[in-house]
Amino acid sequence: MVNEPFEYNAHAADVFTREVMARSGQDITACYQCKRCASGCPVAEDTDMVTPNRLIRMVILGDIENALTNKLTWKCLFCHTCGTRCPVNIKTGRVADTLKKMALDAGIDPQQPEYKNFHRAFFSYSLRWGRINEIGMMGEFQLRNTWDHLKKGNYVAIVSEIIGKSTMAWEMFKQNRLHLSFHSSKGRDEISRLYKKSAGRKWI
Amino acid sequence: MDLAYYPGCSLYQSAKLYNHQTKLVFAKLGLHLKEIDDWSCCGSTSAGKINDFMAVALPARNLGIAESAGFSEMVIPCAACYSRTKVSQKQLEDFPLLKNEINMELSKKVTGNIKVSSILEVLMREIGSGRGLAAVTNKIKGFEPACYYGCMYTRFPYDVPIADNVENPQGMEKVLEAIGVKALDWNYKTLCCGASSVIYNTESALKLMAKIMQDAVSRGANCLVVTCPMCQMNMDSQQDNYCEKHGIEERLPVLFITELLGMSMGLSREELQADENLVINGMNGTQMCGDSV
Repeated sequence: MVNEPFEYNAHAADVFTREVMARSGQDITACYQCKRCASGCPVAEDTDMVTPNRLIRMVILGDIENALTNKLTWKCLFCHTCGTRCPVNIKTGRVADTLKKMALDAGIDPQQPEYKNFHRAFFSYSLRWGRINEIGMMGEFQLRNTWDHLKKGNYVAIVSEIIGKSTMAWEMFKQNRLHLSFHSSKGRDEISRLYKKSAGRKWI
Repeated sequence: MDLAYYPGCSLYQSAKLYNHQTKLVFAKLGLHLKEIDDWSCCGSTSAGKINDFMAVALPARNLGIAESAGFSEMVIPCAACYSRTKVSQKQLEDFPLLKNEINMELSKKVTGNIKVSSILEVLMREIGSGRGLAAVTNKIKGFEPACYYGCMYTRFPYDVPIADNVENPQGMEKVLEAIGVKALDWNYKTLCCGASSVIYNTESALKLMAKIMQDAVSRGANCLVVTCPMCQMNMDSQQDNYCEKHGIEERLPVLFITELLGMSMGLSREELQADENLVINGMNGTQMCGDSV
Protein backbone atom coordinates (compact mmCIF):
# COMPACT_ATOMS: atom_id res chain seq x y z
CA MET A 1 0.00 0.00 0.00
CA VAL A 2 1.23 3.47 -0.83
CA ASN A 3 1.17 5.00 2.61
CA GLU A 4 2.78 8.37 2.10
CA PRO A 5 0.96 10.79 4.34
CA PHE A 6 -0.89 13.51 2.53
CA GLU A 7 -2.58 16.63 3.71
CA TYR A 8 -6.35 16.38 3.66
CA ASN A 9 -8.00 19.31 1.98
CA ALA A 10 -11.79 19.12 2.12
CA HIS A 11 -12.35 21.44 -0.81
CA ALA A 12 -9.82 19.75 -3.10
CA ALA A 13 -11.20 16.33 -2.17
CA ASP A 14 -14.71 17.48 -2.99
CA VAL A 15 -13.74 18.90 -6.38
CA PHE A 16 -11.75 15.81 -7.30
CA THR A 17 -14.51 13.41 -6.19
CA ARG A 18 -17.13 15.30 -8.18
CA GLU A 19 -15.01 15.25 -11.32
CA VAL A 20 -14.36 11.51 -11.01
CA MET A 21 -18.07 10.90 -10.43
CA ALA A 22 -19.13 12.98 -13.42
CA ARG A 23 -16.61 11.45 -15.80
CA SER A 24 -17.16 7.86 -14.71
CA GLY A 25 -20.90 8.14 -14.15
CA GLN A 26 -20.52 6.27 -10.84
CA ASP A 27 -21.88 7.37 -7.46
CA ILE A 28 -18.77 6.47 -5.50
CA THR A 29 -19.98 8.19 -2.32
CA ALA A 30 -22.38 5.25 -1.89
CA CYS A 31 -19.44 2.91 -1.21
CA TYR A 32 -19.50 1.50 2.33
CA GLN A 33 -16.29 -0.51 2.07
CA CYS A 34 -17.83 -3.98 2.12
CA LYS A 35 -14.87 -5.25 0.02
CA ARG A 36 -16.80 -7.62 -2.19
CA CYS A 37 -14.96 -5.96 -5.06
CA ALA A 38 -11.62 -6.58 -3.37
CA SER A 39 -12.15 -10.32 -3.06
CA GLY A 40 -13.10 -10.68 -6.71
CA CYS A 41 -10.49 -8.47 -8.33
CA PRO A 42 -8.26 -10.62 -10.58
CA VAL A 43 -5.28 -8.26 -10.40
CA ALA A 44 -5.51 -7.37 -6.69
CA GLU A 45 -2.56 -9.59 -5.79
CA ASP A 46 -0.25 -7.50 -7.98
CA THR A 47 -1.31 -4.05 -6.86
CA ASP A 48 0.50 -3.56 -3.53
CA MET A 49 -2.75 -4.01 -1.61
CA VAL A 50 -4.61 -1.27 -3.44
CA THR A 51 -8.00 -2.93 -3.89
CA PRO A 52 -11.01 -1.38 -5.68
CA ASN A 53 -12.62 -0.27 -2.40
CA ARG A 54 -9.39 1.41 -1.31
CA LEU A 55 -9.16 3.15 -4.67
CA ILE A 56 -12.59 4.63 -4.06
CA ARG A 57 -11.57 5.78 -0.59
CA MET A 58 -8.43 7.40 -2.04
CA VAL A 59 -10.57 9.41 -4.43
CA ILE A 60 -13.07 10.47 -1.77
CA LEU A 61 -10.28 11.55 0.60
CA GLY A 62 -8.71 13.56 -2.21
CA ASP A 63 -5.42 11.66 -2.25
CA ILE A 64 -5.04 12.74 -5.85
CA GLU A 65 -1.45 11.75 -6.41
CA ASN A 66 -1.90 8.19 -5.19
CA ALA A 67 -5.24 7.84 -6.97
CA LEU A 68 -3.58 8.65 -10.29
CA THR A 69 -0.37 6.70 -9.81
CA ASN A 70 -1.23 3.56 -7.81
CA LYS A 71 -0.84 0.16 -9.43
CA LEU A 72 -4.53 -0.77 -9.47
CA THR A 73 -5.47 2.23 -11.56
CA TRP A 74 -3.02 1.11 -14.21
CA LYS A 75 -3.37 -2.66 -13.92
CA CYS A 76 -7.17 -2.72 -13.91
CA LEU A 77 -8.29 -4.91 -16.80
CA PHE A 78 -11.77 -3.41 -17.08
CA CYS A 79 -13.24 -6.89 -16.48
CA HIS A 80 -16.11 -5.53 -14.31
CA THR A 81 -16.05 -8.25 -11.69
CA CYS A 82 -16.11 -5.50 -9.05
CA GLY A 83 -19.04 -3.77 -10.73
CA THR A 84 -21.26 -6.82 -10.98
CA ARG A 85 -20.63 -7.78 -7.35
CA CYS A 86 -21.05 -4.32 -5.85
CA PRO A 87 -24.19 -4.14 -3.68
CA VAL A 88 -24.63 -0.45 -4.52
CA ASN A 89 -23.77 -0.91 -8.20
CA ILE A 90 -20.56 1.11 -8.40
CA LYS A 91 -18.63 0.05 -11.48
CA THR A 92 -15.16 0.64 -10.10
CA GLY A 93 -13.63 -0.44 -13.41
CA ARG A 94 -15.01 2.75 -14.88
CA VAL A 95 -13.58 4.73 -11.97
CA ALA A 96 -10.13 3.26 -12.69
CA ASP A 97 -10.58 4.01 -16.38
CA THR A 98 -11.52 7.60 -15.56
CA LEU A 99 -8.47 7.95 -13.33
CA LYS A 100 -6.27 6.71 -16.18
CA LYS A 101 -7.75 9.37 -18.46
CA MET A 102 -7.27 12.06 -15.81
CA ALA A 103 -3.67 10.96 -15.29
CA LEU A 104 -2.97 11.16 -19.02
CA ASP A 105 -4.67 14.60 -19.14
CA ALA A 106 -2.39 15.68 -16.29
CA GLY A 107 0.68 14.52 -18.21
CA ILE A 108 1.44 11.57 -15.93
CA ASP A 109 3.18 8.73 -17.76
CA PRO A 110 1.23 5.46 -17.69
CA GLN A 111 2.84 2.65 -15.67
CA GLN A 112 2.78 0.43 -18.71
CA PRO A 113 4.28 2.73 -21.33
CA GLU A 114 2.62 0.81 -24.16
CA TYR A 115 -0.88 1.26 -22.72
CA LYS A 116 -1.35 4.71 -24.19
CA ASN A 117 0.18 3.84 -27.55
CA PHE A 118 -1.86 0.68 -27.96
CA HIS A 119 -5.24 2.26 -27.34
CA ARG A 120 -4.37 5.39 -29.32
CA ALA A 121 -3.18 3.29 -32.25
CA PHE A 122 -6.36 1.21 -32.14
CA PHE A 123 -8.64 4.21 -31.86
CA SER A 124 -7.00 6.37 -34.49
CA TYR A 125 -6.77 3.42 -36.89
CA SER A 126 -10.49 2.72 -36.48
CA LEU A 127 -11.26 6.39 -37.19
CA ARG A 128 -8.96 6.52 -40.20
CA TRP A 129 -10.13 3.40 -42.01
CA GLY A 130 -13.43 2.64 -40.33
CA ARG A 131 -12.27 -0.89 -39.60
CA ILE A 132 -9.25 -2.47 -37.94
CA ASN A 133 -6.65 -4.29 -39.99
CA GLU A 134 -4.52 -6.00 -37.42
CA ILE A 135 -1.24 -5.66 -39.31
CA GLY A 136 -1.78 -1.97 -39.95
CA MET A 137 -2.95 -1.28 -36.41
CA MET A 138 -0.03 -3.13 -34.83
CA GLY A 139 2.30 -1.37 -37.26
CA GLU A 140 1.00 1.98 -36.11
CA PHE A 141 1.35 0.85 -32.50
CA GLN A 142 4.97 -0.09 -33.11
CA LEU A 143 5.72 3.20 -34.85
CA ARG A 144 4.29 5.09 -31.88
CA ASN A 145 6.46 3.06 -29.49
CA THR A 146 9.53 3.56 -31.67
CA TRP A 147 8.90 7.29 -31.82
CA ASP A 148 8.68 7.43 -28.01
CA HIS A 149 11.97 5.57 -27.70
CA LEU A 150 13.58 7.86 -30.31
CA LYS A 151 12.54 10.94 -28.37
CA LYS A 152 14.25 9.50 -25.30
CA GLY A 153 17.26 8.40 -27.37
CA ASN A 154 16.70 4.82 -26.20
CA TYR A 155 18.08 2.88 -29.18
CA VAL A 156 18.35 -0.44 -27.35
CA ALA A 157 14.60 -0.34 -26.75
CA ILE A 158 14.00 0.25 -30.46
CA VAL A 159 15.92 -2.87 -31.39
CA SER A 160 14.15 -5.02 -28.80
CA GLU A 161 10.85 -3.48 -29.91
CA ILE A 162 11.45 -4.54 -33.50
CA ILE A 163 12.66 -8.02 -32.51
CA GLY A 164 9.76 -8.51 -30.07
CA LYS A 165 7.07 -7.42 -32.47
CA SER A 166 8.47 -9.36 -35.42
CA THR A 167 8.66 -12.51 -33.28
CA MET A 168 5.02 -11.96 -32.37
CA ALA A 169 4.08 -11.42 -36.01
CA TRP A 170 5.94 -14.59 -36.98
CA GLU A 171 4.10 -16.56 -34.26
CA MET A 172 0.78 -15.22 -35.54
CA PHE A 173 1.77 -16.04 -39.10
CA LYS A 174 2.62 -19.64 -38.15
CA GLN A 175 -0.83 -20.00 -36.59
CA ASN A 176 -2.48 -18.65 -39.72
CA ARG A 177 -3.84 -15.67 -37.82
CA LEU A 178 -2.13 -13.05 -39.92
CA HIS A 179 -4.16 -11.98 -42.90
CA LEU A 180 -2.85 -9.60 -45.49
CA SER A 181 -6.26 -8.64 -46.87
CA PHE A 182 -7.22 -5.02 -46.33
CA HIS A 183 -10.73 -3.96 -45.41
CA SER A 184 -12.22 -0.56 -44.65
CA SER A 185 -15.58 1.14 -44.30
CA LYS A 186 -16.93 3.71 -46.75
CA GLY A 187 -18.78 5.70 -44.11
CA ARG A 188 -15.62 7.30 -42.81
CA ASP A 189 -16.87 10.84 -43.40
CA GLU A 190 -19.70 10.17 -40.92
CA ILE A 191 -17.19 8.87 -38.43
CA SER A 192 -14.91 11.86 -38.80
CA ARG A 193 -17.85 14.27 -38.43
CA LEU A 194 -18.78 12.50 -35.21
CA TYR A 195 -15.19 12.72 -34.08
CA LYS A 196 -15.12 16.47 -34.66
CA LYS A 197 -18.23 16.74 -32.56
CA SER A 198 -16.53 14.94 -29.69
CA ALA A 199 -13.78 17.57 -29.41
CA GLY A 200 -13.41 18.94 -25.90
CA ARG A 201 -15.95 16.59 -24.35
CA LYS A 202 -14.78 15.03 -21.12
CA TRP A 203 -17.69 12.61 -20.87
CA ILE A 204 -20.57 11.48 -23.05
CA MET B 1 -35.52 -16.23 -40.81
CA ASP B 2 -33.26 -13.32 -41.69
CA LEU B 3 -30.97 -11.90 -39.05
CA ALA B 4 -28.71 -8.89 -39.36
CA TYR B 5 -25.09 -9.92 -38.93
CA TYR B 6 -22.28 -7.76 -37.59
CA PRO B 7 -19.04 -9.74 -37.84
CA GLY B 8 -16.66 -7.09 -36.52
CA CYS B 9 -13.05 -6.57 -37.50
CA SER B 10 -11.48 -9.60 -35.85
CA LEU B 11 -13.81 -12.00 -37.66
CA TYR B 12 -12.42 -10.63 -40.90
CA GLN B 13 -8.85 -11.16 -39.78
CA SER B 14 -7.37 -13.13 -36.89
CA ALA B 15 -10.62 -15.01 -36.21
CA LYS B 16 -11.67 -15.62 -39.81
CA LEU B 17 -12.36 -19.20 -38.84
CA TYR B 18 -15.10 -18.09 -36.44
CA ASN B 19 -16.83 -16.09 -39.18
CA HIS B 20 -16.69 -19.07 -41.50
CA GLN B 21 -18.02 -21.54 -38.92
CA THR B 22 -20.75 -19.20 -37.66
CA LYS B 23 -22.14 -18.81 -41.16
CA LEU B 24 -22.08 -22.60 -41.73
CA VAL B 25 -23.75 -23.44 -38.44
CA PHE B 26 -26.43 -20.78 -38.79
CA ALA B 27 -27.20 -21.94 -42.31
CA LYS B 28 -27.71 -25.46 -40.94
CA LEU B 29 -30.13 -24.02 -38.40
CA GLY B 30 -32.09 -22.35 -41.17
CA LEU B 31 -31.12 -18.84 -40.08
CA HIS B 32 -29.86 -16.49 -42.78
CA LEU B 33 -27.20 -14.12 -41.61
CA LYS B 34 -27.25 -10.93 -43.69
CA GLU B 35 -24.09 -8.96 -43.13
CA ILE B 36 -25.05 -5.31 -42.63
CA ASP B 37 -23.96 -2.90 -45.31
CA ASP B 38 -20.68 -1.00 -44.84
CA TRP B 39 -20.38 -1.63 -41.11
CA SER B 40 -17.57 0.05 -39.23
CA CYS B 41 -15.44 -0.77 -36.19
CA CYS B 42 -17.27 -0.67 -32.83
CA GLY B 43 -14.25 0.97 -31.17
CA SER B 44 -13.82 -2.01 -28.84
CA THR B 45 -12.54 -1.10 -25.38
CA SER B 46 -9.96 1.27 -26.85
CA ALA B 47 -12.43 3.95 -27.89
CA GLY B 48 -13.74 4.24 -24.34
CA LYS B 49 -10.21 4.68 -23.01
CA ILE B 50 -9.74 7.80 -25.10
CA ASN B 51 -13.05 9.28 -26.12
CA ASP B 52 -16.30 8.42 -24.34
CA PHE B 53 -18.45 10.08 -26.97
CA MET B 54 -16.99 8.01 -29.80
CA ALA B 55 -17.39 4.84 -27.74
CA VAL B 56 -21.15 5.41 -28.03
CA ALA B 57 -21.16 6.93 -31.50
CA LEU B 58 -19.19 4.19 -33.31
CA PRO B 59 -21.60 1.32 -32.49
CA ALA B 60 -24.53 3.72 -33.01
CA ARG B 61 -23.65 3.98 -36.70
CA ASN B 62 -23.88 0.19 -37.08
CA LEU B 63 -27.16 0.08 -35.16
CA GLY B 64 -28.58 2.72 -37.52
CA ILE B 65 -27.52 0.73 -40.59
CA ALA B 66 -29.09 -2.49 -39.28
CA GLU B 67 -32.31 -0.78 -38.21
CA SER B 68 -32.83 1.07 -41.48
CA ALA B 69 -32.40 -2.21 -43.38
CA GLY B 70 -35.50 -3.40 -41.55
CA PHE B 71 -34.05 -6.08 -39.32
CA SER B 72 -35.49 -6.83 -35.91
CA GLU B 73 -32.46 -8.65 -34.54
CA MET B 74 -28.71 -8.32 -35.02
CA VAL B 75 -26.32 -11.16 -34.20
CA ILE B 76 -22.81 -10.26 -33.05
CA PRO B 77 -20.47 -13.21 -32.47
CA CYS B 78 -17.52 -11.17 -31.16
CA ALA B 79 -17.93 -10.61 -27.43
CA ALA B 80 -16.28 -7.18 -27.45
CA CYS B 81 -18.45 -5.89 -30.31
CA TYR B 82 -21.51 -7.38 -28.62
CA SER B 83 -20.74 -5.66 -25.33
CA ARG B 84 -19.96 -2.28 -26.91
CA THR B 85 -23.03 -2.32 -29.14
CA LYS B 86 -25.36 -3.34 -26.35
CA VAL B 87 -23.99 -0.69 -24.01
CA SER B 88 -24.18 1.97 -26.70
CA GLN B 89 -27.80 1.07 -27.46
CA LYS B 90 -28.78 1.38 -23.80
CA GLN B 91 -26.92 4.66 -23.39
CA LEU B 92 -28.66 6.11 -26.46
CA GLU B 93 -31.96 5.10 -24.92
CA ASP B 94 -31.08 6.64 -21.56
CA PHE B 95 -29.71 9.90 -23.00
CA PRO B 96 -32.09 11.12 -25.74
CA LEU B 97 -30.13 14.33 -26.27
CA LEU B 98 -26.99 12.35 -26.98
CA LYS B 99 -28.97 10.26 -29.44
CA ASN B 100 -30.14 13.38 -31.27
CA GLU B 101 -26.61 14.71 -31.42
CA ILE B 102 -25.29 11.48 -32.89
CA ASN B 103 -28.21 11.09 -35.28
CA MET B 104 -27.50 14.54 -36.74
CA GLU B 105 -24.32 13.18 -38.31
CA LEU B 106 -25.63 9.76 -39.34
CA SER B 107 -27.17 9.10 -42.73
CA LYS B 108 -29.03 6.10 -41.26
CA LYS B 109 -30.56 7.19 -37.98
CA VAL B 110 -30.72 5.13 -34.82
CA THR B 111 -34.12 4.59 -33.23
CA GLY B 112 -33.22 1.85 -30.80
CA ASN B 113 -35.72 -0.81 -31.82
CA ILE B 114 -33.41 -3.65 -32.77
CA LYS B 115 -32.50 -6.56 -30.55
CA VAL B 116 -28.76 -7.08 -30.16
CA SER B 117 -27.94 -10.74 -29.60
CA SER B 118 -24.77 -12.65 -29.00
CA ILE B 119 -24.32 -15.88 -30.91
CA LEU B 120 -25.04 -17.78 -27.71
CA GLU B 121 -28.41 -16.15 -27.15
CA VAL B 122 -29.54 -17.25 -30.61
CA LEU B 123 -28.09 -20.74 -30.24
CA MET B 124 -29.69 -21.15 -26.84
CA ARG B 125 -33.03 -20.14 -28.26
CA GLU B 126 -32.79 -22.40 -31.30
CA ILE B 127 -31.14 -25.49 -29.88
CA GLY B 128 -32.26 -25.22 -26.29
CA SER B 129 -35.90 -24.87 -27.29
CA GLY B 130 -35.64 -27.96 -29.47
CA ARG B 131 -36.24 -26.22 -32.80
CA GLY B 132 -32.61 -26.47 -33.81
CA LEU B 133 -32.26 -30.08 -32.79
CA ALA B 134 -33.50 -31.18 -36.20
CA ALA B 135 -30.17 -30.04 -37.62
CA VAL B 136 -28.19 -32.19 -35.18
CA THR B 137 -27.43 -35.43 -36.96
CA ASN B 138 -24.19 -36.77 -35.52
CA LYS B 139 -23.37 -37.83 -32.03
CA ILE B 140 -19.94 -36.53 -31.18
CA LYS B 141 -17.89 -38.38 -28.63
CA GLY B 142 -14.74 -37.88 -26.66
CA PHE B 143 -15.11 -34.24 -25.76
CA GLU B 144 -14.91 -33.11 -22.17
CA PRO B 145 -14.96 -29.37 -22.59
CA ALA B 146 -14.62 -26.62 -20.04
CA CYS B 147 -16.79 -23.76 -21.28
CA TYR B 148 -14.94 -20.48 -20.95
CA TYR B 149 -17.06 -17.33 -21.24
CA GLY B 150 -14.65 -14.55 -20.32
CA CYS B 151 -15.75 -11.11 -19.18
CA MET B 152 -17.78 -9.59 -21.89
CA TYR B 153 -20.68 -11.98 -22.24
CA THR B 154 -22.14 -11.29 -18.79
CA ARG B 155 -20.36 -8.26 -17.36
CA PHE B 156 -20.93 -4.83 -18.84
CA PRO B 157 -19.61 -1.37 -18.02
CA TYR B 158 -23.18 -0.08 -17.96
CA ASP B 159 -26.51 -1.44 -16.70
CA VAL B 160 -27.95 -3.46 -19.56
CA PRO B 161 -30.24 -6.51 -19.47
CA ILE B 162 -28.03 -9.60 -19.17
CA ALA B 163 -28.89 -12.78 -21.04
CA ASP B 164 -27.40 -15.29 -18.63
CA ASN B 165 -26.36 -15.83 -15.04
CA VAL B 166 -23.62 -13.31 -14.29
CA GLU B 167 -21.40 -15.44 -12.06
CA ASN B 168 -22.18 -18.88 -13.42
CA PRO B 169 -23.43 -18.59 -17.01
CA GLN B 170 -24.98 -21.74 -18.43
CA GLY B 171 -25.54 -20.88 -22.09
CA MET B 172 -22.75 -22.97 -23.60
CA GLU B 173 -23.41 -25.85 -21.19
CA LYS B 174 -27.06 -25.97 -22.27
CA VAL B 175 -26.26 -25.79 -25.96
CA LEU B 176 -23.61 -28.51 -25.64
CA GLU B 177 -25.89 -30.71 -23.55
CA ALA B 178 -28.48 -30.53 -26.31
CA ILE B 179 -25.97 -32.00 -28.76
CA GLY B 180 -24.93 -34.69 -26.29
CA VAL B 181 -21.70 -33.21 -24.93
CA LYS B 182 -21.39 -32.93 -21.18
CA ALA B 183 -19.41 -29.89 -20.17
CA LEU B 184 -17.44 -29.86 -16.94
CA ASP B 185 -18.21 -27.76 -13.94
CA TRP B 186 -15.24 -25.57 -13.09
CA ASN B 187 -14.15 -22.39 -11.36
CA TYR B 188 -12.81 -19.88 -13.81
CA LYS B 189 -15.41 -19.72 -16.55
CA THR B 190 -15.77 -15.96 -16.24
CA LEU B 191 -12.27 -14.98 -15.11
CA CYS B 192 -10.70 -12.33 -17.32
CA CYS B 193 -7.99 -13.63 -19.68
CA GLY B 194 -6.28 -10.23 -19.76
CA ALA B 195 -7.55 -9.38 -23.25
CA SER B 196 -5.42 -6.74 -24.97
CA SER B 197 -3.38 -6.10 -21.82
CA VAL B 198 -1.27 -9.09 -22.86
CA ILE B 199 0.49 -6.55 -25.06
CA TYR B 200 1.29 -3.92 -22.46
CA ASN B 201 0.88 -5.78 -19.16
CA THR B 202 2.10 -9.21 -20.17
CA GLU B 203 2.95 -10.68 -16.77
CA SER B 204 -0.47 -10.09 -15.21
CA ALA B 205 -2.28 -11.36 -18.27
CA LEU B 206 -0.22 -14.56 -18.52
CA LYS B 207 -0.81 -15.25 -14.83
CA LEU B 208 -4.57 -15.07 -15.37
CA MET B 209 -4.45 -17.33 -18.42
CA ALA B 210 -2.39 -19.86 -16.47
CA LYS B 211 -4.99 -19.84 -13.69
CA ILE B 212 -7.73 -20.59 -16.19
CA MET B 213 -5.76 -23.33 -17.88
CA GLN B 214 -4.61 -24.89 -14.60
CA ASP B 215 -8.17 -25.26 -13.34
CA ALA B 216 -9.47 -26.63 -16.64
CA VAL B 217 -6.65 -29.18 -16.76
CA SER B 218 -7.01 -30.28 -13.14
CA ARG B 219 -10.72 -30.90 -13.65
CA GLY B 220 -9.88 -33.22 -16.51
CA ALA B 221 -11.04 -31.11 -19.42
CA ASN B 222 -9.67 -32.05 -22.82
CA CYS B 223 -10.58 -28.81 -24.55
CA LEU B 224 -11.75 -25.29 -23.84
CA VAL B 225 -14.82 -24.02 -25.64
CA VAL B 226 -15.21 -20.27 -26.17
CA THR B 227 -17.42 -17.76 -27.94
CA CYS B 228 -15.07 -14.77 -27.77
CA PRO B 229 -12.40 -14.35 -30.48
CA MET B 230 -10.15 -12.41 -28.09
CA CYS B 231 -10.28 -15.20 -25.48
CA GLN B 232 -9.59 -17.77 -28.19
CA MET B 233 -6.60 -15.82 -29.44
CA ASN B 234 -5.13 -15.30 -25.98
CA MET B 235 -5.76 -18.76 -24.55
CA ASP B 236 -4.51 -20.45 -27.71
CA SER B 237 -1.74 -18.35 -29.19
CA GLN B 238 -0.13 -17.60 -25.82
CA GLN B 239 -0.50 -21.16 -24.58
CA ASP B 240 3.16 -22.21 -24.74
CA ASN B 241 4.09 -18.92 -23.14
CA TYR B 242 1.92 -19.09 -20.05
CA CYS B 243 2.09 -22.85 -19.62
CA GLU B 244 5.89 -22.86 -19.59
CA LYS B 245 6.04 -19.87 -17.28
CA HIS B 246 3.64 -21.39 -14.76
CA GLY B 247 4.69 -25.03 -14.97
CA ILE B 248 1.72 -26.53 -16.79
CA GLU B 249 2.61 -29.64 -18.77
CA GLU B 250 -0.64 -30.13 -20.62
CA ARG B 251 -1.82 -28.28 -23.69
CA LEU B 252 -5.50 -28.00 -24.57
CA PRO B 253 -7.11 -27.03 -27.85
CA VAL B 254 -9.26 -23.90 -27.57
CA LEU B 255 -12.27 -24.35 -29.81
CA PHE B 256 -15.03 -22.04 -30.87
CA ILE B 257 -18.43 -23.43 -29.90
CA THR B 258 -19.29 -23.42 -33.60
CA GLU B 259 -16.69 -26.14 -34.18
CA LEU B 260 -18.47 -28.65 -31.92
CA LEU B 261 -21.89 -27.60 -33.20
CA GLY B 262 -20.74 -27.91 -36.79
CA MET B 263 -19.46 -31.41 -36.18
CA SER B 264 -22.71 -32.47 -34.55
CA MET B 265 -24.54 -31.11 -37.60
CA GLY B 266 -22.61 -33.39 -39.88
CA LEU B 267 -20.08 -30.90 -41.22
CA SER B 268 -16.67 -32.41 -41.87
CA ARG B 269 -13.49 -31.04 -40.46
CA GLU B 270 -12.46 -29.85 -43.91
CA GLU B 271 -15.70 -27.92 -44.34
CA LEU B 272 -15.45 -26.39 -40.88
CA GLN B 273 -11.85 -25.34 -41.21
CA ALA B 274 -11.72 -24.63 -44.95
CA ASP B 275 -8.82 -22.30 -45.76
CA GLU B 276 -9.07 -20.56 -42.44
CA ASN B 277 -7.47 -23.45 -40.60
CA LEU B 278 -6.05 -21.99 -37.42
CA VAL B 279 -3.15 -23.97 -36.11
CA ILE B 280 -4.77 -24.68 -32.78
CA ASN B 281 -2.54 -26.02 -30.03
CA GLY B 282 -2.81 -29.69 -29.17
CA MET B 283 -5.16 -30.42 -32.02
CA ASN B 284 -2.79 -31.61 -34.70
CA GLY B 285 -1.14 -34.29 -32.60
CA THR B 286 -4.25 -35.86 -31.14
CA GLN B 287 -6.46 -35.83 -34.22
CA MET B 288 -9.29 -35.46 -31.75
CA CYS B 289 -11.57 -33.80 -34.22
CA GLY B 290 -10.89 -36.27 -36.97
CA ASP B 291 -11.84 -39.26 -34.82
CA SER B 292 -15.18 -38.03 -33.70
CA VAL B 293 -16.55 -36.76 -36.99
